[in-house]
Amino acid sequence: MAYTKIEIRHLSKHYEDFATGSKKAQDIPRKNVIDNLNLKINAREFICVLGHSGCGKSTLLNLIAGYIKPDEGEILINEGKEKVTGPSPNRGVVFQEHALFPWYTVEQNIGFGPKMAHKNKETIQQIVDEYITMIGLEEYRKCYPDQLSGGMKQRVGIARAFANEADILLMDEPFSALDEFTRANMQKELLKIWGRNKATVVFITHSIEEAVLLADRVIVMGEGKVVTDTGIEMPREERELNNPKFMDYVNYFKGYIQDK
Amino acid sequence: MKRKRRYNSTAVRIGSIIAFVVIWQLFSFYNEKAELMNPVFLPGPIDVFRTMLEYLEDGTLFKHVSASLIRIFKGYFLGISIAILLGYFMAKIRILNDVLDPVLGIFGSIPPYAFCPLFIIWFGIGEVSKVFLITYTTLLPMIGYVVQGVRSVDPLLIRSAKSLGGSELQVFFRVLVPSALPFVLNGMKVCLGLTFSALIVAEMMGASTGLGYIIVNARNWFLVSDMFLSLVLIALIYTIIKQIICLLEAKFLKWKKSGMDAIE
Repeated sequence: MAYTKIEIRHLSKHYEDFATGSKKAQDIPRKNVIDNLNLKINAREFICVLGHSGCGKSTLLNLIAGYIKPDEGEILINEGKEKVTGPSPNRGVVFQEHALFPWYTVEQNIGFGPKMAHKNKETIQQIVDEYITMIGLEEYRKCYPDQLSGGMKQRVGIARAFANEADILLMDEPFSALDEFTRANMQKELLKIWGRNKATVVFITHSIEEAVLLADRVIVMGEGKVVTDTGIEMPREERELNNPKFMDYVNYFKGYIQDK
Repeated sequence: MKRKRRYNSTAVRIGSIIAFVVIWQLFSFYNEKAELMNPVFLPGPIDVFRTMLEYLEDGTLFKHVSASLIRIFKGYFLGISIAILLGYFMAKIRILNDVLDPVLGIFGSIPPYAFCPLFIIWFGIGEVSKVFLITYTTLLPMIGYVVQGVRSVDPLLIRSAKSLGGSELQVFFRVLVPSALPFVLNGMKVCLGLTFSALIVAEMMGASTGLGYIIVNARNWFLVSDMFLSLVLIALIYTIIKQIICLLEAKFLKWKKSGMDAIE
């Protein structure tokens, strides 16, 4: 029996749409960003959530992270033992805009989580060294984020999330601001790090290729609902653009996304 | 090939000050001969220096400078501290901001020195009214900088810190304080000038010590050299305090990239 790491039950979130300009409360249309969504994610699974911008995928991630509260339903963690009520160090987040602390060096950024947990100095140094080596930025350990390139910053962001040893990792389009080459390298690197640490990953993206390349299972979202939930039955080493099976998956998801 | 000459910014700055003093002295010498105005009214740097030695000898220099310094430190730090406290809560609590902001706006529109006689009536001619004026003058504009600083925090960084296990207190000291610090330090620099003008105004209205007192006293006796001495001391003390703030900036804000070298 698979261990259910995250269980999302009847989740709904709506926003009042003020764009129409109406002042009366009852006239303001309510937009369902997440609409009665149900989803189970197993431990150590790598899930990609795919969809148009505005389909609610980022809202879903913010709900799991605990930054916003659902209007209905709940999110349960670890076979229902915990309920998401706010942010927690067990649920690490990697942001699209890296969100590094500009006043801390690369080292201090990566060590932020362990430091918050009041770990002792040697332990923190050990963790920092391990992850800084993993992302290959040893020479930049004393640099501030402003001195790094976009790809480097994102690598530090990922290392910071992993260094906190969260067993759930939420990633909100982390590579979408990077150029194509950096992005391809980062995808490889991410899989490498994940291979060692085996966290449960929820990865939001709007790139179908990226989703098929990374995921164990791809969730396509549309209008706040799960449109399709499909496992990628293909070893990761074989996932290449020139592999017809890979393209079959890409075209399959394309069908769902273009239908709209 | 043309070799790129090293440009020494510090040397040019020091040179500029020396040149100013030299030109001032030369002009004062010239004035003694040509009598463009009564030479008593335009002493040169040498005369001012001589006056300073006199003040040093009879011990009055220390008395006046320390009196002014104590007033500055009391008023400045009180003003900045209250502004930081008030500004923080105004930025955090919306209703407090809505209540205080219009009132502070009204007071802000009145030049603080207009209150000087009133403060003297209320708090007497002693130290309290002087420190109060300095505190008040520093406080009002400083609040704005603090509010702006606290509001400048990137919400993404707060989320990020919370997801890394940061408690409210840790988020405060590790995210909010460093985000607001550039604004606060900048505000402290700007408000320092106001602190000094308040000091001089306060000391010109009923004091028996201080740099402002030297100026009024000198006016009564046509001791223009004494007046210049006071002005030079004000500039000197102001510069020293400002440099201390600049040092704090360099220490705490070294992560901030300077944009000045963007284009060669």
